[in-house]
Amino acid sequence: MSAPVTTGTGADTARPPQRRVDPARWVRDNLFPTPFNSVLTLVFAPLVVWATWRFARFLVVSARWEIVETNLTLYVVGGFPREQLWRLWLALTILAAVFGLLGGVVGVTAREAAVAAGRTTATTRWDRLARLGPPALLLLVLLGFSRTFTPLLLTGAVVAIGLSLSLVARRIPAALRRAVPLITVAGVVVSLYSISSFGGVPRDEWGGLLITMYYTIGALVVSYPVGILFALGRRSSLPMVRWVCGAYVEFFRGSPLITLLFTGWLVLPFFLPADFPTPTLVTRALIIFILFTSAYVAEIVRGGLQAVGRGQWEAAQALGLSPWKQTRLIVLPQALRAVIPGLVGQAISLFKDTTLVLIIGQQDLLAIAQNVTKQDEFLGQGYIIESLVFVGIVYWVASYWLSKESQRLEVRLGVGQR
Amino acid sequence: MDEGTTATSLTGKALEAGGTGEVMIEITGVEKWFGDFQALTGVDLVVGRQETVVVAGPSGSGKSTLIRCINRLEQHDRGRIIVDGTELSDDLKDIQEIRRETGMVFQSFNLFPHLTILENITLAPRHVRRRARKEAEENAMRLLERVRIPEQAHKYPGQLSGGQQQRAAIARSLAMEPKVMLFDEPTSALDPEMIKEVLDTMEELAESGMTMICVTHEMGFARHVADRVVFMADGGIVEVDDPESIFANPKEERTKLFLSQVL
Repeated sequence: MSAPVTTGTGADTARPPQRRVDPARWVRDNLFPTPFNSVLTLVFAPLVVWATWRFARFLVVSARWEIVETNLTLYVVGGFPREQLWRLWLALTILAAVFGLLGGVVGVTAREAAVAAGRTTATTRWDRLARLGPPALLLLVLLGFSRTFTPLLLTGAVVAIGLSLSLVARRIPAALRRAVPLITVAGVVVSLYSISSFGGVPRDEWGGLLITMYYTIGALVVSYPVGILFALGRRSSLPMVRWVCGAYVEFFRGSPLITLLFTGWLVLPFFLPADFPTPTLVTRALIIFILFTSAYVAEIVRGGLQAVGRGQWEAAQALGLSPWKQTRLIVLPQALRAVIPGLVGQAISLFKDTTLVLIIGQQDLLAIAQNVTKQDEFLGQGYIIESLVFVGIVYWVASYWLSKESQRLEVRLGVGQR
Repeated sequence: MDEGTTATSLTGKALEAGGTGEVMIEITGVEKWFGDFQALTGVDLVVGRQETVVVAGPSGSGKSTLIRCINRLEQHDRGRIIVDGTELSDDLKDIQEIRRETGMVFQSFNLFPHLTILENITLAPRHVRRRARKEAEENAMRLLERVRIPEQAHKYPGQLSGGQQQRAAIARSLAMEPKVMLFDEPTSALDPEMIKEVLDTMEELAESGMTMICVTHEMGFARHVADRVVFMADGGIVEVDDPESIFANPKEERTKLFLSQVL
């Protein structure tokens, strides 16, 4: 059974036939094609409608959001001293500036390359707008609960700085563009230290979404390169390297993250030499996340390496590329491309796994969500539901953003591949 | 050895450098084992500068293994291989030296799918020969014109037909300005209508004075383009002769049998 097709008259024959979408027909073909499917539709359609209605009604009508409104700052930064909050805004401004710059330069370089190669750029204005959707939603969720206008104004200013620098970046002469990634790295380092050093707030006092993001991004940035090295190490021709990398991966993959966090919390300090300064709890937890995630990344990347055919190595060898360049220029780019979904999945996993720091007494976003319900005015009135729904939405939107960006990346890197 | 006379006459033909008469590749007593299976049973062959040698024979006879040993995609277990004065040893420097001077074209093209055709061709000159990007790209465009696909420069391999991909792969090898080109069944994975465009490219290359060793089942190509045809069976060279003689008047039973099957 095929949908009706308009028969082309002479002038139309050069174009593909247009399929007419008839709503009644669509409903019949997709919702009631067989008796069994009709039953499924009749059972589940009301269920979906009912659940959506209940959830929407909860969000808009019955939820008592005052717990979030009262404690918004707590959710976002935890016990971070309020008189030092300006440091966070400063750091955000620096980050917006350098990433605006980087984004602008990357965009304009890609567009120039596409034009030089005679390809049309695939992104439309609508694509670019849609891309801003998830981060905008995240801001909306966070700022929507603010009782004052200050965060809104400051956020507006930060976003404006980022966007205007991305426009400025388009006018940077090509020769200076190479400096931009370095500036970005410098900006990230400066912004981190502007929070914690120079009379600032040590990381052990960070909390809420701030510490969650610190763990997630910190662990991602370090564990991905390290994981790639372990994956390459497992395929090394040197047995010792292969063995050590294999043992590392198997050990950390075989241990529950909670156990490792406990180890980092309680056991690790005993094993350090007496005169060796014990790293702070936050640093120990970060190290555990890095060690754990590297092992998983190594296995994901190893899968990608195996997907690259022998012929690719041979062609690279035959051209006289050195072993390191065979890996870096030919095999690794293809391997990583093949495992983008797995790598992003691991990033999302890590983002959510950071909630486990709750058990070593850290005040991350989830811990705060539970603790605020113990405040006098909210105690024992079931506010936990609102609190968890709010935090759940924050986690969901951020994960959705990551996932969308990864799909974009897949499409972009998949150009011309069949 | 009970076929002493043939062996000597064979050795004579196999060790006569063709082309300019100057020796380009010297293969002496090369043996190769895959586990307990002996893939090459002591091969002797000399190829002269600017000579085109076609290697033919039934599948499993060791043709591909032989040319893959020349640029160390396979490691030979015994014997010597000398390419343009450099002996292939376990020293990575010698291996890289020989690989730089030796281009190889594969049955399955093996273009790099994540790079455009132009990037495929400029990669090795830029990273191995350290050429400037602009110079490498200009040279790549000249080569693409030579293999008649300049309009494909900015496409990805997956967007090209098999014949175009193989010609791009030839251009990629030529970009390193090799002294020797090895062809490992370059037309076996192609649709019939695309075989000719690749063979034409190879013929032009041979006429331009490139030293070539081609493993192929294209007997027409062997007849018209080869200076010598090497017939292999069971890991050894059975017969070497100029194409007219070997096609018109094969001396060995194995050669006769093979030719009667493929012609």
